[in-house]
Amino acid sequence: MNESPPQPKRVAIVGAGVVSPLGFGLTETLHSLRSARDCVTPVNAFDVSKTRCKTAAQIDDVRLLPRTAKSRRDRRLHRASHMVITALDELLQQAHDFTPEIAIVGTTSGGMTFGEEYYRGLNSGERPSQHAASLIANYTPQKPVMDAQEAFGITAPCQVIANACASGTNAIGHAFNCVRSGRYQRVLTGGYDAISELVFVGFDSLQASTPERCRPFDRERSGMVLGEGAAILALENLEAAQARGANILAEVIGYGISTDNHHLTQPNPSGRGARQAMEAALERADISADEIDYINAHGTATLFNDAAEGKAISELFDGVPVSSTKGMMGHSLGAAGAIEAVFSILALQNQLLPPNINFRHGDDGLDLNIVANSARSAPVRTVLSNSFGFGGTNASVILRSINL
Amino acid sequence: MSLGIAGMGWVTPLGSGVTSVWNRLLEGDKATAETISSPLGQDYPVFRVPADALSHAPAHPRLRRSSAISRFAVVAGLEALENAGIKIGPETAARMALIFAVSNGGVIYTKRFYHDIVESGAQAASPLLFPETVFNAPASHLAAILGITGASYTLVGDGAVGILAMKMAEDLMTSDALDYCLVVGAEEADWLLCDAYRKWRLLRSAPPIEPFQRPPKGMIPSEGAGAILLARDGTLRVEQIASGTNFRKQREAGEGVQKVFAELCRPQPDLVVASANGTFIDAAERAAISRICPNAEVYAMKGAIGESVGASSLWQIICAAQALITQKLPELPEPTSLKSAVVSTCGLNQQVAGLRLTL
Repeated sequence: MNESPPQPKRVAIVGAGVVSPLGFGLTETLHSLRSARDCVTPVNAFDVSKTRCKTAAQIDDVRLLPRTAKSRRDRRLHRASHMVITALDELLQQAHDFTPEIAIVGTTSGGMTFGEEYYRGLNSGERPSQHAASLIANYTPQKPVMDAQEAFGITAPCQVIANACASGTNAIGHAFNCVRSGRYQRVLTGGYDAISELVFVGFDSLQASTPERCRPFDRERSGMVLGEGAAILALENLEAAQARGANILAEVIGYGISTDNHHLTQPNPSGRGARQAMEAALERADISADEIDYINAHGTATLFNDAAEGKAISELFDGVPVSSTKGMMGHSLGAAGAIEAVFSILALQNQLLPPNINFRHGDDGLDLNIVANSARSAPVRTVLSNSFGFGGTNASVILRSINL
Repeated sequence: MSLGIAGMGWVTPLGSGVTSVWNRLLEGDKATAETISSPLGQDYPVFRVPADALSHAPAHPRLRRSSAISRFAVVAGLEALENAGIKIGPETAARMALIFAVSNGGVIYTKRFYHDIVESGAQAASPLLFPETVFNAPASHLAAILGITGASYTLVGDGAVGILAMKMAEDLMTSDALDYCLVVGAEEADWLLCDAYRKWRLLRSAPPIEPFQRPPKGMIPSEGAGAILLARDGTLRVEQIASGTNFRKQREAGEGVQKVFAELCRPQPDLVVASANGTFIDAAERAAISRICPNAEVYAMKGAIGESVGASSLWQIICAAQALITQKLPELPEPTSLKSAVVSTCGLNQQVAGLRLTL
């Protein structure tokens, strides 16, 4: 007798924590989304006198570090570790008994500023110090995830996904698949990234970042600005979560991934890769495109991304409200998908469409219903969130209000 | 869930090709260390991939400007497919996922890119180099060459990352949309890494690497790639994968290794392929082996081909697989019958994992 394949499990989000330029925690973040706060400010962490772009959305260390840097050891940690610790702290306040079997987290550059500091020290001929060894040990991308786990006594194995700017969504998507398959009951997931000179100058060298305001999907868009932050989500088998009386924030119902082999840094102009990821997410969720109430777009405000993504969205969806929240808080790379998943949860919980700020003129080539400049109230039951990255990685997740 | 190994590919300082490298290991060959100098005047030994090991790399536009790590990965990945008898086409590629394991990534271009910024300012930064500094650049090149359009993930971690990639592959293969998962680990060597490992007190100033010697005298970095094509069928089975745990301090690594051994060593394996590399890892593995599987044969390949971090656990899996297939083991002319092997990986930066293979 043939065994029938196991029934897919429903996947609940039972906790979420976030830190970004838009705020520390869900409440501050919601307030910032409602007020369409523009968090982009001049960069002062490193020299930007020779770059075109001179701004980014940054987290204030004066707020970040005192929360988590309590011991001498803590003070040696990278600021990315402090971000992940802050986000995990908020999550565990909601889901204090959450014990993950595995952590799946996305990032693009780990503790890159420690690598920069190390190299600058070497290049200047400074005598090596104990500090150099600490920089190396705390530079690696898995370290912030392990530091955060350690801060709360968690020892789950860490899979750190580095799929460029899609990393956060890829991490949530793979975590979703793990719980959905029944192989795992509880998975910690999310993404983080902290601004670094190397990455900032890198995007500037590609002329992907803008010296002006970041205007996603605008006809006169001229590029992205960088951001930073962390968001961590607790995914759990829905039945198990209900059985233990967990507070369920939302349900993850779909995930799609595709690889666009067009170019290392540019999407296929046809939007094929983006479309393939969104279609796969809809198929996995077993819903049609017209069931999506809001799309949180990748929307970096680069010419190429917004054209390709906008084309794919307009071909697949009919007038669904779309916004990119990157005008408010920049592009936080490996954290972006996770932070935007938190925005999606807030949209579901508060019946809110987050705003696409700095929007002036629609792009003639794109038929999109942009949530322009201010947040709107609307019935929101199902949200699709996109993340696309270098290397042609495309990822989409679909979140839904819990329907018991 | 048990998966089969359908094919393998190997690029190492002893050359490329699974059969060729394995035969050299069986013959007792050890890679010859090369000295690389930092511009600051320090010399370091490394085990490098010889140029002729990449002679059959495809002339693909994606490899024109790519770093060595991408070339290693492509050569190993293509060998794994060839070894499995798979001719890649759109239909096969659509049902294949790629998982790439890496630790330091494209360090050569990253260093060059940042050096230009430090020396000459941001206006000197190269837009050609920057994309190659991104961790998933090698995976992107390999996916483009193979035509993979579905799932492609790059995982970053320490020496255990290859096992974590195998675990991810196992999780992905629960989907009936996939027939194959290609897991590739790769790393390239550079003086900057050597300098970092020296300051971390993990580097030995000259060969050899002496696994399990007391006291540990340090390791020597190497480079290359390993590729394993996983399928549902096959006589060589990945029976169990332990994602392991994290350890906080080096002296606590042993506890993590023992936990992994306790999970994988029931029943006791015939062989343990260890990650011992002349550092604190050796003591952690020695204690676990003597306590949990004292009768197993033990092989530590890093003495012959160095510590390749992101690639190393894939290399260990290939060694274990070859030992089971050939019933031979380097340094041990006539092993008893080898039916099962445990691959133990303890990384240099807090991660521990392992897996069990059976024939």
